[in-house]
Amino acid sequence: MSTTSQKHRDFVGEPMGDKHVTALSGIGVVLGKQLEDQGFDKAYVVLGQFLLLKKDTEMFSDWLKDVTGANSRQSGTCAQCLKEWCDAFL
Amino acid sequence: MPLLKEDPSYLSKSRLKSDLVAHNVALPPAKSKKDIYVELHLKHIDQKHAADFSSDEEDQIHDVEDADPEVTEIPDPSGLTDDDLKTALLAHGVKAGPIVASTRALYEKKLRTLMQSNGKDHLNGAEKGVLYSDSEEEEGDEEEDDRDSGSEGEKEEAVEQEGQAQQERSQVTSGSQSVMPNDGSSFSSQAFSITQMVEEMESRVSLSTSADTESGLNGSNVQDNWSRSSRLDMLIQDKYNMKNKTLYYTPEVSPCKGAKKPPQEPVRDVFEDMFPNTPTPTGIYASRRKPIKGAAGRPIQYAYPDSPASPTTLQRREVERRLVPIHIQIGVFLTVACLLYLIFVCVDDSSLSPVMALLDSLTQESDSKEGLQAETQDIPPLQE
Repeated sequence: MSTTSQKHRDFVGEPMGDKHVTALSGIGVVLGKQLEDQGFDKAYVVLGQFLLLKKDTEMFSDWLKDVTGANSRQSGTCAQCLKEWCDAFL
Repeated sequence: MPLLKEDPSYLSKSRLKSDLVAHNVALPPAKSKKDIYVELHLKHIDQKHAADFSSDEEDQIHDVEDADPEVTEIPDPSGLTDDDLKTALLAHGVKAGPIVASTRALYEKKLRTLMQSNGKDHLNGAEKGVLYSDSEEEEGDEEEDDRDSGSEGEKEEAVEQEGQAQQERSQVTSGSQSVMPNDGSSFSSQAFSITQMVEEMESRVSLSTSADTESGLNGSNVQDNWSRSSRLDMLIQDKYNMKNKTLYYTPEVSPCKGAKKPPQEPVRDVFEDMFPNTPTPTGIYASRRKPIKGAAGRPIQYAYPDSPASPTTLQRREVERRLVPIHIQIGVFLTVACLLYLIFVCVDDSSLSPVMALLDSLTQESDSKEGLQAETQDIPPLQE
């Protein structure tokens, strides 16, 4: 039994389509705003960044911390969420 | 792709830099002139075109490399172009993705951390290398002295064997091997208890094996060398595996027998001595004893707490616990079965006489019984 949240399961369960960036696991209102300001308004843009970093969860986690000021838990969750989505749909 | 006319002076400075990095050449200080890059490029990369490599040049190069091990790592990541950054990361074994605006900062940071860790590793590695080489030389001398044999081949083989064993095992092993010489070595600071044990065993083994050599088995010297290192490997294996072996020879018996086997066994059982099959690391375990009566006025304890039960006994106890209610269940089942059987019989019987008899006995008197009996007597003759 993995300790994933409902948000995680919701995101990973279906193609992300046009979901907002706050639909990502670990990204709440505050972080979502930060990302929007940077130009990452949709989840797929963040996915793009993840793919640019060759799906490396550590590097992506570092990037997210740099860009949004997220803590380790939030960035780790987000990275994991994206990785699982990629494993399922990419 | 190598150009036909590979003249470095035609290449750009950054290109030269990246080429040098790709060939693992020490880069000169960042602000040096292009000529220096060209020189280095010529020396290391254009080997086909260069006429001779004079020893002076090589010495110079080595000096440069030795003198500035840290300088190679210093080029500022932010000053590099995207390609250079990628090459530098590749030199550290990191396969980087596309270096774009958003990813550049990350890769620069990564390169910085790699360079710092590399710088530290270089220093540590140099120290360790020196230490190890010293200990190996010590070992070689020690072995020569112990064996009173002058052949260099043996020494080389021993060193080779030690070297091979070192490569195979972890540093713990090599540390323990290097402590073999009885003199205090630089590894006493590592403070492994196993090294002390190995020391003891080695002293015992070396005594027995030196006895062997002195007894005149020249051909077995080489074998002893090999068996010695292999025994050490086994030793360490035993420590980690903790197998239970039943062989038991005393060291004194060994010289009487052949060359290969006995040298193995004394070590194995000495090892057994020290490590009987118990969980405690020192092999010492104390069983609880009865206190002596009157000893310091302590009362005698006759009943001791239950010994730790094995899993099978625990299972048995659990099963037994469940069996008592099972008996009750079986009893209930049987009574229900009997009831059902009675009902079945009653239903089967068309005359329902038993049921009627039961009912009548409860409500009416013996007259109705007689009447029933008459009826039952009448019916059978009719049926016949």
